[in-house]
Amino acid sequence: MSRVHKTAGTLAIASLTLALAACGGGSDGDDAASDVIRVGTEGTYSPFTFHDTAAGNELTGYDVEVIEAVAAELGREVEFSETQWDAIFAGLEASRFDVIANQVTVNPERQEKYDFTEPYTVSTGVAVLPTGSDITSVADLAGLTSAQSATSNWAAVARESGAEVEAVEGFTQAVTLLKQGRVDVTLNDNLAVLDYLNTSGDTDVEIAFEVGEPSEQAFALRKDSPLTAEIDGALQTLRENGTLAEISERWFGEDVSG
Amino acid sequence: MDLDLVRESIGPLLLGTIRGTIPLTAFSFVGGMVLAVLVALARLSAVAPLRWLAQGYVSIIRGTPLLVQLFLIFYALPSLGITIDPFPSAVVAFSLNVGGYASEIVRAAILSIPRGQWEAAETIGYGRALALRRVILPQAARVAVPPLSNTFISLVKDTSLASAILVTELLRKAQEIAAPTFEFLTLYSLAAVIYWVLCLVLSIGQGFLERRLGRHLAPQVAKVEKVRQEMA
Repeated sequence: MSRVHKTAGTLAIASLTLALAACGGGSDGDDAASDVIRVGTEGTYSPFTFHDTAAGNELTGYDVEVIEAVAAELGREVEFSETQWDAIFAGLEASRFDVIANQVTVNPERQEKYDFTEPYTVSTGVAVLPTGSDITSVADLAGLTSAQSATSNWAAVARESGAEVEAVEGFTQAVTLLKQGRVDVTLNDNLAVLDYLNTSGDTDVEIAFEVGEPSEQAFALRKDSPLTAEIDGALQTLRENGTLAEISERWFGEDVSG
Repeated sequence: MDLDLVRESIGPLLLGTIRGTIPLTAFSFVGGMVLAVLVALARLSAVAPLRWLAQGYVSIIRGTPLLVQLFLIFYALPSLGITIDPFPSAVVAFSLNVGGYASEIVRAAILSIPRGQWEAAETIGYGRALALRRVILPQAARVAVPPLSNTFISLVKDTSLASAILVTELLRKAQEIAAPTFEFLTLYSLAAVIYWVLCLVLSIGQGFLERRLGRHLAPQVAKVEKVRQEMA
């Protein structure tokens, strides 16, 4: 072993140690003590969480406004981290943020791993198909290819219907693939699809039928987070004083807050 | 770390590697190298338009993100009526990408061979093409091995980007398994280890190739090389 080699080795070990030390600087999840609520959201899922190009490109949407109202109720600041859906739970677990505000559907698998607040949306799943398709019910989905975010509940619904799931980043990509004939169908929240059809004027695809039971969406937090009860209290107040209904009316023209 | 999950996942991940990552890398590198040699020769050619064309291509490839190149070929071409499946789309994109970068390596390697070699080839009656094939390129190949190995090893990891255009390779397999279980840390770590092992194997291959291509060097050159390798 030459001198050069030794020096290089020492340097490598030193820099690795530094790098590891630098990685350890995350928050240790003491959510209640800080006066900032750190929120994870996609920022690409209209009308729930997106950047409105018409309004200065600010992050906005139904979920964004609800969590902002909750924070205002609690007298806290909100800090948004935008991340793709498939990385959102990893971000929550890694304490990059404390709450997910992104139309997270409450289901038993998720309840095992995460805390959920009271729901603030009730919605139904729908199948989006090329206009005039002859696929008319859930029974026809078996063997088809469905474009979904890998970790979304719609992916699970598609699998249960016997469809092959092609994992994509979000709804926009799913619709693109559908229009290009690369997938047969995509399942999503009726509110998201309606909003897309209304704002884009797209006539190539349509809502063909409803899928499954109505589902509830809520904020997701790490297990045993002290924030859950606080947010629940605020949601209760916002529901009683009509704020929730008002936000919902503005985004959907009806009260979908359940 | 959930050891049962690791055991269950290794099989599908290796399958994704063997069916996705490895063929994707191999096809793209071969395609890229063919392009690279052609583009390098175009850049060294006496015909001006050929040179400009090659320069433009290299500039576009090096000046745009690989992920954007993938998206353009996969998502944008269909609007021009060209719809290519995910795997071939990825091969096309990666070949074009490797072609752009490697052409510069090939060009530099050709230019690194002393002019005297061209003249020597001429004196024994070789034309330009023959001189290139029998005298210049074999020597240039030796010079190009280390930088091309870099390109090759980078490509192995770059193929993970194909997961974004629906190609089921190692990373996408990891994401598929992680999705229902939420075990991202375990799966991404496993994928990282597999990528690393692949690259280790390739680095060892690079060493063999360098020794093999260097076997005709003059003794003192070989000696200098040997000392250099010990220092490194």
